[in-house]
Amino acid sequence: MSDFLIHVASIACIYGMLALSLNLQMGFTGLVNFGLIALFGCGIYGAALAHVMGWPLIAGLAAALVMAGLLGLFFARLGRRLSSDYWGIATLSIAEVIRITVMNESWTGGAQGISGLTLLFGDLRPWDGLARLGLFALALFATYLLCEKLVRSRFGLAMKLMREEPQLARALGHDINGIRARVMLISAAIAAVAGVLYAHYLTFVGPDQLVSADTFLIWSMVIVGGIANNRGVVVGAVLMQFAMAFVPFAKDLLGLPTDFVAAARLILVGGGILLFLLLKPQGLLPERVGAGK
Amino acid sequence: MFQFFSDALLRAADLALIAVALSAVYSLIRFPNVALVQYAVVGAFLAISLQSAGLGLVAAAALSTLAVGALAVLFNLAIFERLLKVESSIALIGSLALSMILSAVFLLVYGPTAYRLQLPVLAPIRLMGVRLTTWQLWTLGLSVVVLALFALLLLRTRLGAEMRAVATNAPLAAATGIETRRVTNIVVFLSGMMAAIGGITLALRGSVSIDMGTNLLLPVFAAAILGGLGNALSAIVGAIVIALAETVITNTNLGPLMGEAVWFLPASYAPVASFAILVLFLLFRPRGLFVSEVTRV
Amino acid sequence: MDNKLLSLAGVLALGALFHAVPAVAADEFTLGAIIPLSGASATTGEDQRRGIELAVKDVNAKGGVLGKPLKVIIEDSGGKPQTAIDAAKKLVSVDKVPLVIGEYSSGITIPLGQYLVQEGIPHINPASTSGLVRKIGATSHSMVGLDNVSTEFAARDVLGHGWKNVTILAMNNAFGQGVAEEFRKHFEAKGGKVLSTVMYTLGQPSYRRELQQIEAAKPDAYVFTAYGTEGALIMQEAFELGLQQEKPFYSILITMMNKDTPAEFKKGLIGMDVGYLGAGGESYRKDYEAAYKEGFLSAYGGYAHDAVEFAAAAINKAGSTDHAAVLKAIDELGKQGFDGATGEIKLDADRQRTSQPYLKFKVEGAKLVPYE
Repeated sequence: MSDFLIHVASIACIYGMLALSLNLQMGFTGLVNFGLIALFGCGIYGAALAHVMGWPLIAGLAAALVMAGLLGLFFARLGRRLSSDYWGIATLSIAEVIRITVMNESWTGGAQGISGLTLLFGDLRPWDGLARLGLFALALFATYLLCEKLVRSRFGLAMKLMREEPQLARALGHDINGIRARVMLISAAIAAVAGVLYAHYLTFVGPDQLVSADTFLIWSMVIVGGIANNRGVVVGAVLMQFAMAFVPFAKDLLGLPTDFVAAARLILVGGGILLFLLLKPQGLLPERVGAGK
Repeated sequence: MFQFFSDALLRAADLALIAVALSAVYSLIRFPNVALVQYAVVGAFLAISLQSAGLGLVAAAALSTLAVGALAVLFNLAIFERLLKVESSIALIGSLALSMILSAVFLLVYGPTAYRLQLPVLAPIRLMGVRLTTWQLWTLGLSVVVLALFALLLLRTRLGAEMRAVATNAPLAAATGIETRRVTNIVVFLSGMMAAIGGITLALRGSVSIDMGTNLLLPVFAAAILGGLGNALSAIVGAIVIALAETVITNTNLGPLMGEAVWFLPASYAPVASFAILVLFLLFRPRGLFVSEVTRV
Repeated sequence: MDNKLLSLAGVLALGALFHAVPAVAADEFTLGAIIPLSGASATTGEDQRRGIELAVKDVNAKGGVLGKPLKVIIEDSGGKPQTAIDAAKKLVSVDKVPLVIGEYSSGITIPLGQYLVQEGIPHINPASTSGLVRKIGATSHSMVGLDNVSTEFAARDVLGHGWKNVTILAMNNAFGQGVAEEFRKHFEAKGGKVLSTVMYTLGQPSYRRELQQIEAAKPDAYVFTAYGTEGALIMQEAFELGLQQEKPFYSILITMMNKDTPAEFKKGLIGMDVGYLGAGGESYRKDYEAAYKEGFLSAYGGYAHDAVEFAAAAINKAGSTDHAAVLKAIDELGKQGFDGATGEIKLDADRQRTSQPYLKFKVEGAKLVPYE
């Protein structure tokens, strides 16, 4: 049992980082990114390509950061000309196209993916699970501190101003394009780090990890936890991740057919988003208004 | 060559109905409803179920079309009207969530296998080297008729005039006595019907599985955005451009470039074509082919 | 404030639920299986589930495992490695099963197997045929001959018909990519030529584009592999495009798609598949048809069936669930040979199946008939 809990908690930390990344974009800056999974994908494939080339882990991290940074800048560039819902659709399309390309090209391992990455702390058995959980929790905490510091800074005020009143922000002399590019760069870096950690935990990377349904899982974490509240989205990530992990137990407990598991997960994500949007749009922990310095 | 155009035309017909529906709804309520592609799947599945319950093909298709129209109105009243009070991007997220819930329902009811309508096998037709089936001609005809009817409705009737008025300036339309909510829900009903017909025509020519909606999402959006979201009839042009691009991608032999006799891009790259065109347009003409206004975010 | 209470309550409720999960009843013996019951490979997953169900019935009719009735806890992989590993962690650390069977596609079996090897848990691969499966590790075994075995048989058969230039059409997943690559390798080594290879994405409403692509190469024959309903659609569209009337079609693992395809769209179709031979194969086929009122959904139900039977036999032989004892018993059983529905199962030094019976099939009316 405890191994299983450690596993679910480790994955929850990774998703917590992704939820913080989305929260910077969507929660604080109003950037409706439906292609977040592609930034995460840069992370996992950066690690995987380094593995294939025989590079050390740190080179994989660097490759991941570079790829995610470039993609983030491309997203930001598209955002110059588009209103938020158009941008949302564009980012969704880019993520899908990246998934299709990865699936069909041979240098990415194609549909078979890339396996055999080194397991983080694999030598520390039987304490490797705890060591990884410690590292992931530390990474999550560091990300949380970074995000908190960012949104409480002058730059954070500009982000929120851009979300609420883009015209006003421009009139006050803020460089909207610059803010967007910087937010995308920072959140892309967070997603990439999460991806590298994830790849070296699962030790396998494949195109199935890039499906858009996972972007919406992260969205559900942000919406359930509380848009524009860093603590809230981490709570949301933990809750959603544990709820997803709990589904097979509910199946055993109630004697339901195994098909139920996949459907129940879709309903948890879709239903979670819809219920909160309709009934409690501010999420479990609402945004703290006026929390800036 | 003729085969190329017939392939592209059939593909355009696949996309046009749903793209027009998407665009028409957008013109009134200003958010792109992602769930529309799932309404098409509902229409196809419902028609298949009704047919296997013993209804005739035409009755099953008609009943399913009406049911999906009603369902679209129901969702609009229960979900989207409320979310739109907050913001259009919130409604967009809501429509994605609704799509996931519909996927779950498909999974529970139909499972993952592909389904088909029971149709008599008709001999293939050859026309100037083009290989067609009778069902393809029927579905093409049906799509053209439905689109023509919708165009007539939009351009020649009182309802159409009211729709255009609401689309152009909703508060002004309301002030002149148009019931905007009624007009909107009629359009939502029609959009559900068109999506269902789009799904049923796909079912008439091939098979339907729970992935159909996801596969349609990108090309349909690309067609609608290319036409200029909210500019319903120009989505037809968008659909034709996207279908041509996809067909060029999948029907062009790149063998000579690759140093082999025959080499094609995988057909799964077809959405990449729609996407590439889409991004180019979003970068240079974000409001579509036919609008010249300059916009700022 | 109430929000914090709410989330706290949520966490507590979840924790309580985790603890409320009962251990499996002590009078049952449990094994674990992870198969794709949702996602792109779900039809095969359903077939695997049926195979497991029949095997459990059979094992229990013969007295169960270690004196207790056998139960296999089946988890859905969702066609995703992450979900499969989640499920494996649940089976291993919560249900405490002594052996895990799984999955179907190589891209998932490999990370799943690697995880089980790390934990020292015996693993049986019931379906994945990629060559990489061989390298998973010391506690991993395969009930299925890897794709180099099946495609070599197919390549010889196709050349035997005098077709030297072919095109390949296969689904774009780990299985399809493996088949396409291995077939090309064997076919070209034997003097044939693969003119082009087209990979198709599963779950599409039409495959006319792909069919026109394979047609353009003007081959002597079309070699393809497809799952049930997709295969049916491909055959129908090949008929409508006139491809079938012009050139022969050859199906690798033909039983996967035969059932769903109406007779008029598969006149003259030939192919190969695993032979369900001998007493085990015949009785499995009979039980299957009696239980599910239809023919096999795929070629993989039988392997999942044999994985359960083999595991049960090995654990009975070991006399305990101790991992080392079970692994030793699997080794001995693999050397000595075990009669399953898919023929005699023998394992090589890498714990992979050495050979399996393949048959040539041709279509007569709606039915498949083996021929020589």
